[in-house]
Amino acid sequence: MGGHTIRGFGLASGAEYVVLGFVLGPNVLGLVEKSMLATFDPIADVAVGWIALLIGFGFGVDGDRRARAASMLGGTFVSLFTGAALFVPLWLLTANIAPVHGFDRVLLVGGIAAACSETTRQSVRWVSERYGATGPLVRLLGELSQSDDLPPIIAVAILFSFVTPAHLPWTIAPWGWALVTVGFGLIMGALAALLLGRDFRRNESWGVLLGLSVMGIGITARLGLSSIGTLFTMGVTTAILSRHRAALREMVAPTDRRVLHPLLLLAGAHVDLRAMGSVALILLCTITARVAAKGITGFTLGAASSAARSAGPVLGLGLLSSGALSMTIGLAFALRFPGSIGDTVLATAAAVAVFGEFVGPTALRVALKQAGEIKSPETPPNQDLAKA
Amino acid sequence: MSGGSDLAAPRGATTRFIQASALAVLFAVLYGATRAVPTIQSRVGTIGAVGFLLLTGTLTSELVEIVGLPHLTGYLAAGIVAGPHVLRLIDEHSVEDLTSVNSLALALIALEGGAHLRIATLKKSVRSLAWATVIQSLLVMAAMSIVFVLVRKFIPFATTLSTGALAGTALLWGTLAITRSPSATLGIMSQTRAKGPVMTGTLSFVMTSDVVVVVLLAAAMVAARPLIDPTSSFSLHAFEALGHDVLGSVALGTTLGLFLTMYVRLVGAQLVLVFVALGFGMSELLSFLHFDTLLAFMVAGFVVQNLSRQGEKFIQAIEQTGSIVYVIFFATAGAHLDLDLLRELWPIAVALAGSRMAVTWIAGRLASRLANDPPIVRRWSWAGLVSQAGLALGVAGVIERAFPILGSGFRALAVAVVALNEMVGPVLFKLALDRAGESSREPSVSLPSIPPPPR
Repeated sequence: MGGHTIRGFGLASGAEYVVLGFVLGPNVLGLVEKSMLATFDPIADVAVGWIALLIGFGFGVDGDRRARAASMLGGTFVSLFTGAALFVPLWLLTANIAPVHGFDRVLLVGGIAAACSETTRQSVRWVSERYGATGPLVRLLGELSQSDDLPPIIAVAILFSFVTPAHLPWTIAPWGWALVTVGFGLIMGALAALLLGRDFRRNESWGVLLGLSVMGIGITARLGLSSIGTLFTMGVTTAILSRHRAALREMVAPTDRRVLHPLLLLAGAHVDLRAMGSVALILLCTITARVAAKGITGFTLGAASSAARSAGPVLGLGLLSSGALSMTIGLAFALRFPGSIGDTVLATAAAVAVFGEFVGPTALRVALKQAGEIKSPETPPNQDLAKA
Repeated sequence: MSGGSDLAAPRGATTRFIQASALAVLFAVLYGATRAVPTIQSRVGTIGAVGFLLLTGTLTSELVEIVGLPHLTGYLAAGIVAGPHVLRLIDEHSVEDLTSVNSLALALIALEGGAHLRIATLKKSVRSLAWATVIQSLLVMAAMSIVFVLVRKFIPFATTLSTGALAGTALLWGTLAITRSPSATLGIMSQTRAKGPVMTGTLSFVMTSDVVVVVLLAAAMVAARPLIDPTSSFSLHAFEALGHDVLGSVALGTTLGLFLTMYVRLVGAQLVLVFVALGFGMSELLSFLHFDTLLAFMVAGFVVQNLSRQGEKFIQAIEQTGSIVYVIFFATAGAHLDLDLLRELWPIAVALAGSRMAVTWIAGRLASRLANDPPIVRRWSWAGLVSQAGLALGVAGVIERAFPILGSGFRALAVAVVALNEMVGPVLFKLALDRAGESSREPSVSLPSIPPPPR
C-alpha cells in the first residue's frame, strides 16, 4: 500500500504477533481458550477478506508507480516456481507419512504450496525504509513482491472450489465454481467503482467498500468459496475501473497493519503444532524446499538483471520473508477446513513466516548493501526509532 | 445519516439509475446465494447480512429521497424486503445475531441525544418542555387508556378480561403509548441537519421523556397489578426498584461522562474504539446492574456537553461512528418487523395507532397554547412524537414479563402498533421539519461514513 510508512514498527513480517498469539493460545498457555477463539471466527473471516482486498488494491503497484510488465510477469513466475518447488517434494513426502489420502492430500499439499510461495511486500519495504535503500534493485524487488500474489490466490480459489457445499440445486464443475469466485469479485469490484462515482467522497467510499466487501465475504463463505479470491479480484477490478484508485489506495492503506496484526494474532492462536503426527517432517521439507527455491530465484535474478547481479548469492535468502498473504491463506484454510488439514497448512505457514523473519530481512540488507543501494554509514536502528 | 466533512452534490438521474441497478444486482446476488444454500452456519449468514443491510439500506435511502421520504424509511424498507417475512434473504438467526448491534446503536443514540441537550437551550424552553411533558404524558396516557377500553371487543386477548383487569391493562397500554423514539428523532435530525424551535423542542422532549416513561411505567405497574391479578397485593416495591434504577443510572452516567470528558480532552484519539467498547461492554454492565442503559448514556452525553468544552468534538465523533451502525440498526429493525402479525392484527393496530396520532396532535396543540409557543411550534411540535421503536418494544417486553396472565397478546398488539408508528412517524417528522423550514437546504449526505483513520 503506497505512501504509508512502516519503518520502526516491529518486525518486517509481523511474525511477533504470530508467536504472541501462539503463546497465548489454547495450545501453549491456554489464556485464550478454544471456545473463546471460536467467538472471534467471524472477525477472522472479515480480516482475511479485507487483507485480500488490500492486496488486490495494491497488486502490481509499487509505491505510487505501476509495476513494469516484466516485473509483474517475473513476480508471477517466481511464486509459481516456488509453489511448484514446494508441491513436488511435499507430494512425495505425504505419500508415505501423512494420514491423508485422495483429495485431502491435494488440499494439504496445495494449501501449503500456495501459502508459502510469496515474498511478503512488507519485508522489502521495511528494509528499504529502515535503511534508506534506493536504487534499481530495491525497485525490482518491490515490484516482484507486489506482483507475486496472483498464483497463490488463484490456487486457493481453485482448491476451495472442489469442496463446495453438498445438496446444491445446480451441478457445477469445480472450474465453474472457480470462475464464480472470480466473476463474483468482478461484479463486486465493478459495483464499487460505479457507486464510488465521479466525485471522490472519502466518507461515502468507506461505506461502499466496507458494505460490498463484508457482503462478499459472507456470500463466499455461504457458498464455501474462497473469499480471498473474490475480494482480491474485487480489489483489482475496483483499482482498474475507478478513477479514484490512487485516493482509494491512500484511504485504505492505514488499515493494512491495523487489520493484519489482529489477524496474525488470531492466526497464531489457531496454530496447533500437534495437528498431524508428521507435522515436523512437513515443516522441515517445506522450509528446505523454500530455501532452495528462493536461492535458485536469487541466482536467476542475478543472471537476468544487471541490478541484481552485484547483490550476490545472498539475494535469494533475502526473498525468504513471508507474512501477510501466507498467514491469510493459512488462516483461511484453518477456518474453512478445521482439523488436521487446515491446522497443518496454518502451522506450516506460521513456521515459514517465523523462519523467514530470522533470515530474510538480514539477508536482504546484506544484498542491498552489496548492490550499493544502502548508503554507508547505516542509520543505527535505535536512532531511527527515536526519530520515528 | 450524515457525518464527515464532505458534502454531497445533488444526485443526477444517472446516479439514481446506477443506485437502482446496483440495488437490483445486490438483491439478485443474495437471492441466488440464499436459494443455492438455504441453511448455513449462523455466523456466515450474519456476516453477509451486515454488508447487505449496510449497502441496500443506504441505496434504498438514497432512492426514497427522490419522493421526499426520510432515509430511515429506506433503511427500514430494505430490512423489511430482505427480512424473514418477505424475500427471506436474511434468516431469523441472522436477525437475532444482529440485534447485538442494537446495544451499540442505542448507546450512541443516547450519548448523542444527551450531548445535544444544552443547559442554555433547555433554560430558554423550560416552560414549553414542562407543559409538553405534563400534557403529552398524562393526556396521551389517559386518552389511550380510554381508547383501549372502547375498542376492547376487537382485541382478541382483551375480550375475556374482567372489568378490573381491563382497566389495569388499559393503564399499561396508555403507558406504552407515551414512549417515543430517540433513535428516529436523532436519525431525522442527522439527515435533515434541521435547526430551529421545532427540532430543538422535539429533541429535548423526546430525550427527557425517557425518565418520565420509566417513572410512569413503575407507577402504572404498581396500580395495575392488583387490578389484573386480584390475588396479588398492592406493593410499593416497584418504586424502590425505580429509585435504585434512576439514581444508579444517573450516578453511573455522570461518572462515565466525566471519564469521557477527560478522555476526549487528554487523548482524543481512537474514539471509535472507545464507543464500540462502551456500546458493548458498558451496556452489558448496566444490564447486569439493572440500570437504565438509555438514561445512563444520555446523562453521560449531557455531562460531556455541559460540563466541558468538548461537546462539539464529541458529537462529531459520535456522528461519524454512528452512521454505519445506525443503518444496520434500522435495517435490522425492518427485518425484525413481524409482517405476519401485522397482517393478522392490522385493523385494530391501525385504529390504535391512528388514535394515538390524533391524541398526540391534540396534546401538542394544547401544550403549545398553554406554553405560548410560536405558531410554527404549535403547528408542528406533535409530529416528532409519533415515532416509536425499541423503547416501546422494551416496555412491552417488561409488561409481558411482569404480567404473564396477559399472555403474549399484549406484546403482539404492541409490536403491530409500534411497526406502524415506526413506519409513519419518521415520514411525518421529516415532513414537519421541511414545512417548518428547519431542514437544511444543503444536499444531504446519506451514505454512511467512517472517520478516516488518523495517519
